[in-house]
This record gives sequence, structure tokens and C-alpha cells, in this order.
Amino acid sequence: MATRVEAPASSNVLDYDYSSFFYSSSDDPFAILEPYNEWYNRAVPQGYYLFAQPMATPPAARISLEEQLHCRTVPLLNLSSYNYLGLSYRPEVIEAAKRALDRYGLGAAGSPILSGTMDIHVELEEAIARFKGKEAAMVFPTGYSTNVGMISGLMRPGDWIIADQNSHASIVDGAILSKANVRFFRHNNVADLEKKLRQTSGKKLVAIEGIYSMDGDVCPLPDIVEVCKRYGARILLDEAHSCFVYGPNGRGVAEHYGLDEEIDIHVGTFSKALGGQGGYVAGSRNLYNYLKGFARSRVFSCSLSPVVAAGVLESLSIAQREPELRDSLWTNVAHIRKRLDEEGVDVGDSTSQIFPVMIRNDRRVFEIGHKLLRAGLYLQPIIYPAVAKHRSRFRVSVSASHTFEQLDEGVSILARVLREEGIIL
Amino acid sequence: MSDNGFVQYHYRDAIGGFFEFPTENARALLPQDLQPIEPHHGSSVLSVMAFDFHDSPVGSYGELILSILTAPRVEPGQPWPKSAFFPFRLATTTRESREHAIERWHLPHYMKDIDLRWDRGDGHVTIHATERGQPIVDMTVTEFEWSRVEHRYQAFMHDEEGFYSSTIVMAGQFSENEEEKGGIVIHTQAMTELLEDWELTTTPFRELWMKNGVQTFHPLQQLASYARR
Repeated sequence: MATRVEAPASSNVLDYDYSSFFYSSSDDPFAILEPYNEWYNRAVPQGYYLFAQPMATPPAARISLEEQLHCRTVPLLNLSSYNYLGLSYRPEVIEAAKRALDRYGLGAAGSPILSGTMDIHVELEEAIARFKGKEAAMVFPTGYSTNVGMISGLMRPGDWIIADQNSHASIVDGAILSKANVRFFRHNNVADLEKKLRQTSGKKLVAIEGIYSMDGDVCPLPDIVEVCKRYGARILLDEAHSCFVYGPNGRGVAEHYGLDEEIDIHVGTFSKALGGQGGYVAGSRNLYNYLKGFARSRVFSCSLSPVVAAGVLESLSIAQREPELRDSLWTNVAHIRKRLDEEGVDVGDSTSQIFPVMIRNDRRVFEIGHKLLRAGLYLQPIIYPAVAKHRSRFRVSVSASHTFEQLDEGVSILARVLREEGIIL
Repeated sequence: MSDNGFVQYHYRDAIGGFFEFPTENARALLPQDLQPIEPHHGSSVLSVMAFDFHDSPVGSYGELILSILTAPRVEPGQPWPKSAFFPFRLATTTRESREHAIERWHLPHYMKDIDLRWDRGDGHVTIHATERGQPIVDMTVTEFEWSRVEHRYQAFMHDEEGFYSSTIVMAGQFSENEEEKGGIVIHTQAMTELLEDWELTTTPFRELWMKNGVQTFHPLQQLASYARR
């Protein structure tokens, strides 16, 4: 690579990030707040304002965003939301939620093992179990609490959890909470997984994801299943981004590969393709019964709101009776992939509806993000520590509800800005 | 070279590789109050660095440093450290530089002179560390985009006399990447015997390279609160 020397940048706040402010030298836990805020207040005007900006509309193709740097509301084309099937704002879903609000009120007002289980929760669990073709399914209040409760509810000190190094924080945190031994294998590298399995003995759980959300790549499931079977490891497959999207019936990557029955624990969320909130574990009745007592993130949380549960139930129903939604999504994915390719945009190893737009410059990603906003396109920057250093990127999420014209408009804006910034030729 | 306790060491090249290894190995070495940085839960970071100093209070020499990456201690009102290191084994090419570093900075040394050979290629550099012909470490790092920087680090040291820290400012041309193109071979040798059972990865997840710069040690601070495990 050509040598390029830039101007001195001795105190650039963007050399630092959240991970720089874990510990202070003081015995007072509040001592870290002052240096952190000093950094944060300098970092926000330089780019960190691009995170957590409030949206004033549904997460549809066109949104209004309250831009925090200039304190104004801007209309944008949205390629950032996870609403893969466009279900979060479907009239039937909203109606179902409204009916549930009239019938149950806002919240469940209790833990699912005490007074918080309503008939709508049971209905949702049974619908998910039928959809996944499993004996039982358990609903959790969030996707995060699903993995945390599932993993910490089953695994014990002395056991082994072997997870992909790009695993979602919920897998990592569940593993930490379980106090089991944890090893990470190199991303999607089956040889390294086998090496780690060979080095361990005792109870083993391998945790992988159908689609990895930062890169949009799919796990090599057939090879992983083969290795896990050989070493007697149970498999947890998190299909947060792939369920309701992949497979002939939308059951996910496991169905896509014809390996549904080889997976011991199916995990997924309602917050991506179904446009709602919450998560599920699907598997055997025995697993369900055990988790009912041991999945503490569920036991000690209030149940999913019945309003959301009803909306999710309707989303699930639509996803099943309208397979053409998945067809539309994949048609859109093929279209935008072609357009991005024509423009020479680097999208890494993505093969899914998630495209990382690689910038590979941790400082410039923010100024480019600001420029994209000014040009009318909403894309979220992703930087270290969410991804490796210098693998900063924007993440494009495609929905079935996008039109070709909207996707073309998004790619045109993106390509123009990337060209102006010298990221593409 | 030295002014009010500040000491400068000028280098042609400084390279580093970050390698993951199990945190239980890191905790066995670290003082209790130092927290290892974990890029993944249960995995800590071994930093292997090599310097090619051409001007210093003890002349020109080469240095090989094995450290564990630790969380910096952020002090209110003070400049923020970029990261922190706990060096647990160093070796130099000259006796004078070794004695200087032990006396001045309390750095724990391998007590024999080593040889450090630098193979500079197109976009990569490889160091070969040996002791009387016996290989210790071979490490390759690759370059990325270059920029001129001034980075502030913390180093933590301990020996029989106490526990210390020093701020180290590294200025010069800087390249950093996580492209995983480099590599390391750690040979069985007295300096590296600690690493033998560490399940160390052999591909660095991060590669650093600095050129034509200066390393400035700030005055040593004694830390009273640290206790050896």
C-alpha cells in the first residue's frame, strides 16, 4: 500500500472510544465520569452525534430524523432499519396491537412465571413452536435477554461454550453469566472451531449465528454441524437476522441448509423481520420446561407487553401467508447488490440482506456519515469496538418494502458521496 | 536526552503485534489491580514489540518487549492514555541498555544480550530475535495507511522494590491495521518459556508499525496501592 503521511493529530478525540474509559485511577466509582464526559462532549460534535438520533416516524423507507448536531428535523431515505419485511407498520399489525391494547391494557404487570403470562403469550409461543416445527417455544421480553437467559440457564461452571468471535453481545454476556469456560473461534472458521473443540472436554455448547449482523455473511452451517456432531457438542443457532427471511418457509438458515433437525437450540428475535420486539427459544419440551425455571433473564423480567405480543403474532401470520414478501426482499437484495457492484462499492463478504459499506477509516466515517445525512440518506456508521479497527463501515439494511426507485436513489447518493470522498473511484 | 526526568529514545522502526491468549494466564502474571484488556471474553492480549533505537542515553540498541495489554487508569484532569501495558519480559541487544532500563524504569529483563535482525520488505517487516544463534521470536507485521501521530500510553512495572507506572509518548509515523496478514513464531527458549502453555494465537489481530520517531518516558511514578497476587 502506498505510503501517505497525514498532518499531526496528537489529540484527536476520535483516537479514543468508549473502551478507553473503563477504569479510573481513583477509588471513587464516579471519578471516571468527568474524563468520560470531557471526551464525549468533544467527540459528539466531531461525529458521535450520528448515534442514537431520534426518529420521529415509523422505521419505513422514508423517515424524519431529529438531527442532533443542528437541532433540526430532516427527511431521509432510510437504509438503516431492520424492518426486513416491512411489517412494523403494516395496518393489520397496528390493528392487532390496538385490539390488544383495548383488551389487556399496556403491560403484563408481572413475571411470566407469576402473574405476567396472558393467553396472548401462550398463543404466541405455540405459534412460534408450530412455525419452527419444534415441540415448544419460549418467548422472552427482548432478543438480548433470550440469549442471556438461554445460555446462563443451561450452562454451568466447568462446562465449555465455544462461540464465533463475531458473536452478538447477548451470547457473550450469557456465557459470562453462566461462569462456564469460554473460547472463541475465528469467524466462520470451521478448522479453528474444531481445534477449540479438540482442546476441551466435558459438556460443550457451540454458539453461532445464521447471519452475522456486522458483515452480513452466513455461517457455514453444514460444516459446523458435522464438526459439532463429531465432538459431541450441542449447537445453539441464533437466527436473529435470518429467521422469517431465509429458507423455503422462512424458518431460517437451518431450513435453508436442510439442517433444522440437527440444531439443538433455535434462537431468534421478533425485532428484525417481524418488526416488533422480544425473542424466542425453540426446541424440545424438556428444554422449555427446564428454562422456565432457570432462564433468569425471563423469570425476573416483566413479560413482553401483550400489545407487542399481539402485533408480533399478526406479523408472524403475515410472514407465513405472504411468502411473496420474502421474494420481494430477495429481489430487492439482488437489485441493490447489482447496483452497488456497478458503482464499485466494497460490501465485504455479504451474501444477505445486510451490506457493510466498507470505509476502512475510523475517523473519516463520521464526516462521510454527516455528508450522507446532508445528501438525504440515513445510514449508521459502525466503528471499533463493534467491528475491528480500521474496518469502519456503514450498514445497509434492505427491506421488502423498499422500491427499486428508492434503492437506486440510495445507491446514487452513496456512490456520489463515496466518490467525492475518494473511497471509490 | 533527559530533562526533568523525561527521557527520549529515538527509533528508526518500532513494530508490534497483538495476540490473543487465555485470560487465566494473564491474571497469573498481572498485579491484582491491573485489569487485562479482553477483546473477547476470556481472551487477553499479548503485545510483542520490537524497537530499533538509533539514539538514546545509552546509544543505539535493539529491544524486544513482551507485555500484557491492560486497561489504562484514567485520571481526572489529565490527558487520556490511549492504552496501557504491563511489560513482563524484555531483552536488549546491549548490556548498557539493559542495566539502564532496569535501574531507571524497573523493567523486568532477560539478563542476556540478544541479537535483533530486521528484514524490511515491500509493505512488511520481519524481526528475528536470537540469542547466540538460538531463535527466540520471529515476527512479521504489515503496513496500512501512514499518519503522523503522538500517542500517549501507560506502562506499569513492578519488581522487588515496588510498583510503578510511567507515561510513554510515542511520536512518529504510524501505521495500524487489523488485516491479519502478519504472523509470529515463538521458539522454545529461556526468554519465552512463560508462553509455552498459553494457547497463543499466531496471527496478530492488530499490527502496529512506527517509523522515524521518538519514544518519551515521563518521570516514573511509584504506585503504593498495587499488591502482587
